[in-house]
Amino acid sequence: MKPDVKSGIRSGNQSGATKQPTGDTAAALRKTAAEMETLAHEILEHGIKKGADRIKVGTSGSITRRLVVENKEVSLANSLEDQKFSLLVHKDQKKGSATTNIVRPESIRKGVEDALALASFSVADPALNMPDVAAAPKAKPLDFMFDERTADTTLAEIQELMGQALARATQDKRVAIDKFEMSVSTSFHAIYNSLGVAQSELQTMIGWSFFGMGVDGDAVSGFDYDSGFAWKTGDTAERLMATAESFAAKVTGNLHPRKANSYKGLVVFSPRAVEELLTGFMLYHASGSAVMDGKSRWHEEVGNRVVSPVITLRDQPHNPAFAGVTTFDGDGMPTRDHVIFDSGKLCMHLHDCYSAKRCHTTSNHMSGGPFGMSLAPGGSLLADLLRSRREILLVDRFSGNTDAIKGDFSGVAKSSRLYVDGKDSGAVTETMIAGNFFEFAKKIEAASLETEAVGGSFTSPWLLVDGISVTGG
Amino acid sequence: MKEMLKKLVAQNSAQDNSYVELRYHKRQSNSFMAQRGRVDVANHSLVEGIGVRALIDGAWGFAATARVDEASVLRAIEQARRNALTIVAGRGKKVANLQKGKMAVVDWTGPGFAELLAMPIADKLGAVINFERQLAKSSKALHTARCRYNELLEEKIIVTSDGAAASARIALPEFSMSAIAEKDGERATSSRGAGVSGGWTCLYNHPALDNMVEETARTAVDLLSAKHPDGGKKTVILAPAVVGLLCHEAIGHTVEADFVKTGSVAQGKIGTIVASKLVTMADTGCETIAGYAVGNLPFDDEGVETETTTIIKDGVLVSYLHNRESAAEFGVAPTGNARAWLFNDEPLIRMRNTFLQPGTSKLADMISEIDDGYLVEGAGSGQADSNGEFMFGTGYVWQIKDGKKTELLREATLSGIAFDVLQTVDAVSSEFRWDLGTGYCGKGQPAKVDAGGPYIRCKMNVGGRQG
Repeated sequence: MKPDVKSGIRSGNQSGATKQPTGDTAAALRKTAAEMETLAHEILEHGIKKGADRIKVGTSGSITRRLVVENKEVSLANSLEDQKFSLLVHKDQKKGSATTNIVRPESIRKGVEDALALASFSVADPALNMPDVAAAPKAKPLDFMFDERTADTTLAEIQELMGQALARATQDKRVAIDKFEMSVSTSFHAIYNSLGVAQSELQTMIGWSFFGMGVDGDAVSGFDYDSGFAWKTGDTAERLMATAESFAAKVTGNLHPRKANSYKGLVVFSPRAVEELLTGFMLYHASGSAVMDGKSRWHEEVGNRVVSPVITLRDQPHNPAFAGVTTFDGDGMPTRDHVIFDSGKLCMHLHDCYSAKRCHTTSNHMSGGPFGMSLAPGGSLLADLLRSRREILLVDRFSGNTDAIKGDFSGVAKSSRLYVDGKDSGAVTETMIAGNFFEFAKKIEAASLETEAVGGSFTSPWLLVDGISVTGG
Repeated sequence: MKEMLKKLVAQNSAQDNSYVELRYHKRQSNSFMAQRGRVDVANHSLVEGIGVRALIDGAWGFAATARVDEASVLRAIEQARRNALTIVAGRGKKVANLQKGKMAVVDWTGPGFAELLAMPIADKLGAVINFERQLAKSSKALHTARCRYNELLEEKIIVTSDGAAASARIALPEFSMSAIAEKDGERATSSRGAGVSGGWTCLYNHPALDNMVEETARTAVDLLSAKHPDGGKKTVILAPAVVGLLCHEAIGHTVEADFVKTGSVAQGKIGTIVASKLVTMADTGCETIAGYAVGNLPFDDEGVETETTTIIKDGVLVSYLHNRESAAEFGVAPTGNARAWLFNDEPLIRMRNTFLQPGTSKLADMISEIDDGYLVEGAGSGQADSNGEFMFGTGYVWQIKDGKKTELLREATLSGIAFDVLQTVDAVSSEFRWDLGTGYCGKGQPAKVDAGGPYIRCKMNVGGRQG
């Protein structure tokens, strides 16, 4: 690779002293996983011998190579190996837990004893339970999650990709990158319990993130960020360049903001704003924990329309478009696809084994979920949504307070823009928005045809929403 | 452990006169949470390991190991060195040198460490369960009572090839409670909390926890019938917790030297007026005002002794916050602001205890001089931006009308441009409190920080509802 003077980054292999090991990273991690599995089974036996009624052991480990760029220079090369045991014991309907990264039999046994001690001082809870192997059969692996070649990606290869991405992002001199990170991680996680459940999965992932702002003379924009991921080295370059371009557009677009006028009415939420302001509230009130504690307003609303018919929300834990995919949930139950909201109707509450038992129902394998959510697109063009009001605010990010129980929110519309007669009239500053989720969720008037991925965990269209208070600076 | 680290540092830096830094970190933590008569969290955690940084030919390499035997640490040192060499050719601009600071050689045990370590775990968990029961019984209008206790017992040893060889043991307990009140389908939430660098006794003597059961319950119930504040630019009096949040979010981040280098709004403003003359603001790792602020550290994670760094003096910006690398670049002394969350995190420039110096006004007088405004109590979450635009949430708001504190109003969100808002400060009280000890700052890694100050009066945007 030719020296990239613009970015300040050049390929790291020029010294000849720096070739990273090309040995089998995956084999090393598999060996660690196997050793920890053996230890986990010993710990299950030890816990039962020490008096636990049930015990769950979680193991995890990773090998990560990471580069950090600050101010257009590689500032740090990083190699990390990590392992962790997490233990949960139930005894006499009480629970205690312990975690440690010290992978020695005596340390883990001590962890079991600490967890048992905590359980003995706790409060009895008849709803505590764990699944058995009949309820949680071995999950089928997802082939796309692991790639041997990707596991062996070297720091030098990452550096080369970063050089290209940095050059792309900083083609516009107004782009100031505070931090640009990229890593390749090979990891495993597993769950074993004393009722025979045994789940494990291995994955490789290349991830990247940009954080920075626009600077134009004395003008400084607000911070913005963008991120992405790929399962395989071969898929990385194209996606990384797309993120670099998207990031550059965001930070330069935030420059020279204007003040907005105050009004109450229609705004457009970008996919990022949808994630921050809509799905957070929806998932809280659909969650099993909120239902079991009487905090959900939708505890008796399954099958009823609770939000606008524009809204259809799915969870797809096996879809490679999402970084959070997994074959089993935090209880060890195999994951599966769900439609959570269908045309505004609440289809289900999201239960793990514990909340399910408290609510006298069964788990829908959502411990730690949802894992990969998508909101269905609508039939309108974004450009048409932006013509719905003479002056309309496009809210891109929300920085503020939300009260999940009451549904109130109030905060600053970040990276947001004002459209006048459908035309972009620039970024806004010191513009606050406020409203109530239960009021606006039924006033979502339209969804765009266009959709966008948000950080690898969510895809969404833009939404036209009524009933939002906009306070100009 | 320290002797082993010293030996390994000496061996490895001698090879090529490179810089090597070894940081051992052991963290024990206990987390308990009780709500609605249940114990939802009762967890003990133990994490240990060594982080290695090597600076070779102007490039940084980092590696970490959870195995703390000599052979494993040696392998980590080799890996960090290889990592530095991987990127050395790719750097256009080398790290020239590290600014020499006061390198720590102390062995320090902070207040409360022995007390918390010796205290039976049953007593800590028992207190959480009992407080939750007291809160639940305190009002029939409460739908949910929740109590949470978390403690970090930190043990660190830092050895660098240029003179630091120090150890510290620090206890960081924190307690919080929250209540949800309900009436006719309407709900309101209230919370109280405190965190200290100290022991159990110190924690429960924190002024923020005075009458915490009664205050938490009463505020939640009162907020049920409270209205929202009106939106717009208002005269406000900010309570110490909110002042702390303003100092941390709105100013503190913009003067962290890494952000300054990228182009934050504070770039190039040293020596210029950025605030009212009444404003003097600092960040300290060794506060003595109360002695228990959560960010008290004898040295930072580069082994530099901490100090009190004045950021704004009488309205003039006088310093940024530095690690050793940025201090060298700016030609100033390091300020002891390099901090890492765990052994496997690299040190970043972070705040410690950030505060506004108290003034001479009295809160009562400050209120009496306002015709129409708000007294803002209780800090929520907050964020700041490179351009100085900030946002933070507040617990609740009191209306001020004709010089009197009148009606309790619901929580609000405040925003503004930091230096613009500080220019509007026209009164600073003599009362002072650290009040952000349960807070964690997020900047890639978490960090335990504290913040506080006096009451101040200024003008800023209050987010509310439009008719």
